[in-house]
Amino acid sequence: MNRRLFLTVSGAAVAGTYAGMKLEKPPKLPDGPAGASAVSIQRARSYSDDLVSRMLEGIQQCGLDPRGKRVLLKPNLVEFDSSTVINTDAAVIAAAVEVFHKLGAAEVKIGEGPGHRRDTLDLADDARYRSTIPRFESIFTDLNRDDVSPVANFAGESRFYFPNTVLAADLIVSLAKMKTHHWAGATLSMKNFFGMVPGSVYGWPKNKLHYLGIPESVVALNRQFRNTFAIVDGIVGMEGNGPIQGTPKPAGVLIMGRDLVAVDATCCRIMGIDPEKVDYLRLAADLGHVHEGRIQQRGETVAQVRTNFALIDAYKNLRLA
Amino acid sequence: MGGLYLGSRLEFLRASQNQDGGWGYFPGKQSWLEPTAYAMLALHAAPGSDAASDRAWQLVRSWELADGSVRPGVEIADGTWVTALLVTLACIRQVHDENVARSVGWLLRVVGAEHNLLMRSFSYFNLLKTKLDVSHEGWPWRDGNASWIEPTALTLVALKKAARHFPSAELDRRVREGEELVLARRCSDGGWNCGNPNVLNFDLPSYPESTGLALVGLQGRNAKELAAPLEVGRRFRAETKSSLAKAWLAIALRLHGQNPGTQAEDAWASSDILLAALEALAHPEGNYRLLGTGGRA
Repeated sequence: MNRRLFLTVSGAAVAGTYAGMKLEKPPKLPDGPAGASAVSIQRARSYSDDLVSRMLEGIQQCGLDPRGKRVLLKPNLVEFDSSTVINTDAAVIAAAVEVFHKLGAAEVKIGEGPGHRRDTLDLADDARYRSTIPRFESIFTDLNRDDVSPVANFAGESRFYFPNTVLAADLIVSLAKMKTHHWAGATLSMKNFFGMVPGSVYGWPKNKLHYLGIPESVVALNRQFRNTFAIVDGIVGMEGNGPIQGTPKPAGVLIMGRDLVAVDATCCRIMGIDPEKVDYLRLAADLGHVHEGRIQQRGETVAQVRTNFALIDAYKNLRLA
Repeated sequence: MGGLYLGSRLEFLRASQNQDGGWGYFPGKQSWLEPTAYAMLALHAAPGSDAASDRAWQLVRSWELADGSVRPGVEIADGTWVTALLVTLACIRQVHDENVARSVGWLLRVVGAEHNLLMRSFSYFNLLKTKLDVSHEGWPWRDGNASWIEPTALTLVALKKAARHFPSAELDRRVREGEELVLARRCSDGGWNCGNPNVLNFDLPSYPESTGLALVGLQGRNAKELAAPLEVGRRFRAETKSSLAKAWLAIALRLHGQNPGTQAEDAWASSDILLAALEALAHPEGNYRLLGTGGRA
């Protein structure tokens, strides 16, 4: 095949595929599991508020009992830039450590495996984790470089490796940041689990997940790890060109729940994003509730706290009416 | 040798070797090839370290697979980017047997998946979300995935070292292609990040550690071509808060014949084995020259 023919044929194929993807109408969103899910919205106007009390109230409203459990807190630690809002704030993590100890957890650990930066301990230092969280070094694991064990049949892979710290946890708490995302539309509690995939096996970034598909990987991780809870740091989120280069967006909320799909759908509505248009939430609709009518809002209502996050052009179509 | 700074890091490495001969990322943890390789380089030719290095070498050789790839750790079944590290170690240890030849062959077979026909077509018609030059052949973290700066840079080092014992036109071509890929993926601010300089028409910032690694991979390129990136590297070295980046940048600058600036002389006070090894390598009296390639293949 000569170059001209190749370009013509491949161009037609590419354009046809692309047009087909664009014109395809998304199927109706399924109802999701039986029943409804509780999601708590707690106001917290700054990181110096009494976050422990807010979390205790939210956890109680969602009916979580962590007594006797080995709890792993999974923050979103991304970049060296303490002047911005890229990372889950240290105050939120410190409060969560205290809360789960108060509630009788058998142990509380923190684990994170950043997607791009390899120097996790210095990242944690720069994000003030070491200086803010008591005994940080003794409870923190770099999930990129932890010991690993294989899991069978994850996302169609016969063997997939996860950090032993993750596999040993009875309850994984996603301490995500409320941010827009240039690949997924939004990054919240569910996508935060990308940091549980070990870079030592899959690299920096964890490109295997991109090849499995970002929405598909988000859902696969949340299907694999079901004993979970979410506390999303929306006190100051990130809008625009997130998850790294966006700008701070004060939303003044902590969002909590046992159903991470419902938590993320609620976060989207607060951000002015239609969760039914977010690919990973559509794919996760059998795991939890996206439909507003199936989410029991506790604490504040979405309407009381909604504040539209700026969206880049590529995601303007996600705006909630 | 090297005083407190280098001595305390080498002592930490000696003390944290696992029973199986390897090193984990942290003391007492599973052995992995990456920290083992850098610990071996850091301890190379250090008095009293030969036996430790020999045990480590035996372990990593037991991770060679029939297809020439090498497993990254004791628990992992399949081979990855660390194959390049084994080839580099083999060249330094003057081992050029059939297994090493197979590993070189594996590196020559593996190509980043973004170079495939479909992705090149998408790129040609400007349908990618990333502004990415997919015309060159680099190396992925895992076979079947896209090329990134770090595995490409480390493979460039391995192949340039291997060229003397396993010369071929294909090796020369892949080295040229790999270098072109690294150069094409430079960020608009002058350095490199993991390997994706632009997404959705937004330029992404470079990372100091990736910039250091890219410069290590580009040894032997025209000095004029690298003048600006080396300047970025010097600036990053002075500004970065990442100890790992400081170490990679010091290694890179020294390999390019440049002074990386003042060297801290503090005693070792961390549990990070990879960092200890890289900092020891990066020291003026360390073994950074082992990552030297003496120019292009």
